[in-house]
Amino acid sequence: MKQRRNFTKSGLYRGLKQWLIFTVLTIIIYSSIYPAGAAGPESSEEKLIPSNGGIFDSIITYIKSLLGEDEKTQGSGMVSEAATTGVQQYPDIERFVLKIATPSIIKSSSFLGDSNLGVFAHLSNPPLMKMDSDGHLVGQLAKSYEVSENNTCWTFYLRDELYWSDGEPVTPEDIKFSISYYGKEVPSARWINDTLETIAVSDANNSVTFKFNKPYTRSDLEFATYNILPAHIWETIENPVEYTNNGPYVGCGPYYLKLIDLNAGKLVFEKNLYWKGKAPESETVEIHFYSSVDVATLALKKGEVDTYYKYAGSYPYAGIEQLEETGNFDFIEKTDIGLIFLALNLKKAPFSDPKFREALSYAINYEEIVRLETLGYGEVPNRGFVPSSMENFKETEKLEYSPEKARRILEKAGYIDSNWNGIIEGEDGKDIKLKILIRPEYARTGELLEEYLGQIGLASDLRTADADTWIALKDNYEYDLTITRSTPWGMLMHASWGSGYFDSRRTGQGVMHNLDDPEFLQLCDNILATTDPEELEGYAYEIQDYYAENLPAIPLYWSSIITPYNRHFEGWHTDPLYGIYNLDNFVNVRKIEA
Amino acid sequence: MSGIARKGTRYLTSLVLIIIINFTLPRLMPGDPVKNLIGEDVYVSENVMEELRAKLGLDRPLYEQFTSFLSDLLHLDLGYSYHLHAPVAELLLDRLGWTLLFVGVSAAIGAFMGSLLGALAGWRPEKKTSRFTGLAFVVLSCTPPYFLALLSLYLFSFRLGFFPSKGFYDAPEIGSILHHLFLPVCVMSVFSASRNFLVMRGSVIQEKEQLYALYARAKGLKDISILFRHIIKNASLPIITLLALDFGFLFSGALFIEIIFSLNGMGTLIYGAIIGKDYPLLQGAFLVIALTALIANMLADLLYGLIDPRVRRPA
Repeated sequence: MKQRRNFTKSGLYRGLKQWLIFTVLTIIIYSSIYPAGAAGPESSEEKLIPSNGGIFDSIITYIKSLLGEDEKTQGSGMVSEAATTGVQQYPDIERFVLKIATPSIIKSSSFLGDSNLGVFAHLSNPPLMKMDSDGHLVGQLAKSYEVSENNTCWTFYLRDELYWSDGEPVTPEDIKFSISYYGKEVPSARWINDTLETIAVSDANNSVTFKFNKPYTRSDLEFATYNILPAHIWETIENPVEYTNNGPYVGCGPYYLKLIDLNAGKLVFEKNLYWKGKAPESETVEIHFYSSVDVATLALKKGEVDTYYKYAGSYPYAGIEQLEETGNFDFIEKTDIGLIFLALNLKKAPFSDPKFREALSYAINYEEIVRLETLGYGEVPNRGFVPSSMENFKETEKLEYSPEKARRILEKAGYIDSNWNGIIEGEDGKDIKLKILIRPEYARTGELLEEYLGQIGLASDLRTADADTWIALKDNYEYDLTITRSTPWGMLMHASWGSGYFDSRRTGQGVMHNLDDPEFLQLCDNILATTDPEELEGYAYEIQDYYAENLPAIPLYWSSIITPYNRHFEGWHTDPLYGIYNLDNFVNVRKIEA
Repeated sequence: MSGIARKGTRYLTSLVLIIIINFTLPRLMPGDPVKNLIGEDVYVSENVMEELRAKLGLDRPLYEQFTSFLSDLLHLDLGYSYHLHAPVAELLLDRLGWTLLFVGVSAAIGAFMGSLLGALAGWRPEKKTSRFTGLAFVVLSCTPPYFLALLSLYLFSFRLGFFPSKGFYDAPEIGSILHHLFLPVCVMSVFSASRNFLVMRGSVIQEKEQLYALYARAKGLKDISILFRHIIKNASLPIITLLALDFGFLFSGALFIEIIFSLNGMGTLIYGAIIGKDYPLLQGAFLVIALTALIANMLADLLYGLIDPRVRRPA
């Protein structure tokens, strides 16, 4: 017993004492290292001398090896090497950093290979065209453009006084190089190679002319997505899609991309000193990646970041209230031009029958879906499919929930439950059991749909598949119904107004290619054959009427894109294609006393 | 055959099997083997496809393909990720370094802390402190890692502002890295410690009732000597197994921690590869994880022999 007491009173205490000393020592060592990180970069150099602590030396050497000594730089066009002539002198105003949180994580520092990076690089390498807040296409690097009568020749006149961040002027050659480069080197831009005949440049009037081998009416839209590259840098890069570099990248926007730091989870854009347009107030723009949206919300609340951006997506509706409670945020709300819809397999019964589609449209409780999925930040859609925020929107009838009406339509069309087992039979006399194909993100909507179908006597089988399997099954038409979504670009692609999803002559990852009605195809061709705004408006109304009448797809809800921003900043606006991530915001946003 | 030779053969066979599985898997999958080797939803031109077909020698006999595969492996060429636009070996090496830093350190701290506290709690389980630590570690081991990580981030980063919320660093400096990794390492260490604590505690409770412990006490040894010189040695065998498992799967990362703290580690790399069907990367990661598990088990076997003479003794 005595020995036991000895252990308790002396042995254990001695052990604890040793542990306490060890802990204190660890804290002292840690705190002696920490100030190096806390200090600014310029002062940290001398503080980074490793201690002679053996194991700590090893750890520090190891970490240094992870950081790497040599940094690759892009070409010879680094800003620091640029000539100083023509450098923009910015007024002496308060310098600040604009920080944007995003869940769209960049996985690779490949400027042309990473799709998220491609979107963010619009700030440093703006495309020729852009979309204004009303959805009209207007010039960005181009000050104006014209198209020949037969829609085969497009001429873009460049703005004067555009300079790369290394001091070189932006020339029509750069535009020619960039567009042909994408056509040649980027698989997803292969259409350029297939349709573009020649590109002519004119230094005299600072223009570039694209001649297509057939009428091509969507060039202004297409050229709102391709970042313009400096020919003098990129022409020496052998395999551009596989080319990775952490920066800096030479750009011609108000900022250039200074750094891609995947380990810090951020992109850093710095002012382009040669930018001659309106001077941005923010010295630096940082894009911060968050793997968890919950953490991004906390970062917003704490003021670590100033706003939130996700291409074709909103800030999570569930987090809005939390930000509102802080009193530090304002919100931009705009109806998304993309939407969630129910795609129907029009190639086989029963959805090849318009009456069956009509009945289905009455079976869905849109109000409930809107309430559950958008938490009130959405609305019941119209039969015309196209959301109200899209250019040339036409007001069509609102979709209505009426199971009785749905049952009546089915009965009238000959779909009845003759054997009284609670399930309606099809034309072949067998019970109708619909195969609903969904991706995991639509699980709840899928379950609701299953319930709605059951209410009108339709059995269903809900099948969940990952994105790739969904694409394979969808392309083989192995479904009756599927829930999917359209992105802003998706709504604009092909003949616009969502037609790109349905035209049976098209293919693509999210494309349904399920509609081969000659009337619809002709309508698409008509749109594709004109650039006349009045004609386009007429066709836009026709196509929305077509959707309303034939219901090739049933929109489930239109939702809003909500963008929170800190009240310390003002001057935000949003465009239907890229939301707040547009050049105008970055030159107009100002810091104010909130 | 001696024990060491037998074990050596066993590990060598496992290694050969791992390599064979790694080689055959993409070739046995349905569909175009080139597509299977580069990933399904990768956009590459027909020219690149043809180049790859020729490079991989898919029209050559299987043994020739295998020889070429082995030669590539020996040159640390694990293929190319068309999703991430980089050689797989380069990607893995970069992420392995960071993962080793935060998961490795956590596993080591967790093992040390868990074993020590577990041993003390097991030696005197009736004490209030032992009961309290036991309860605390049971609660911790039952808490979902995602929740604990989020809770600690909320508390220490957002409420108290002690630590940054994301990434390995702000600026690539040692102080910044340590500052950023402190919280994730603490959370992971606590998790690792809770498992080791429970195992060690149980093991010590069992061992202290053995006759050799009684004999040591009868010999007049102090409690602390009995615990740390005799009992802990025998009680640590299950901990070694646990450690081998921990280190074996060290390189598969800690997905939840990486998501919460937005860390660029192996967990998110493998998760992204699964979601994106980046087969070359998955193959490479599979090979590395399998090899680490093998090495860790081998080391555990050796350690058993060093710690426990019964293992060294011929059967």
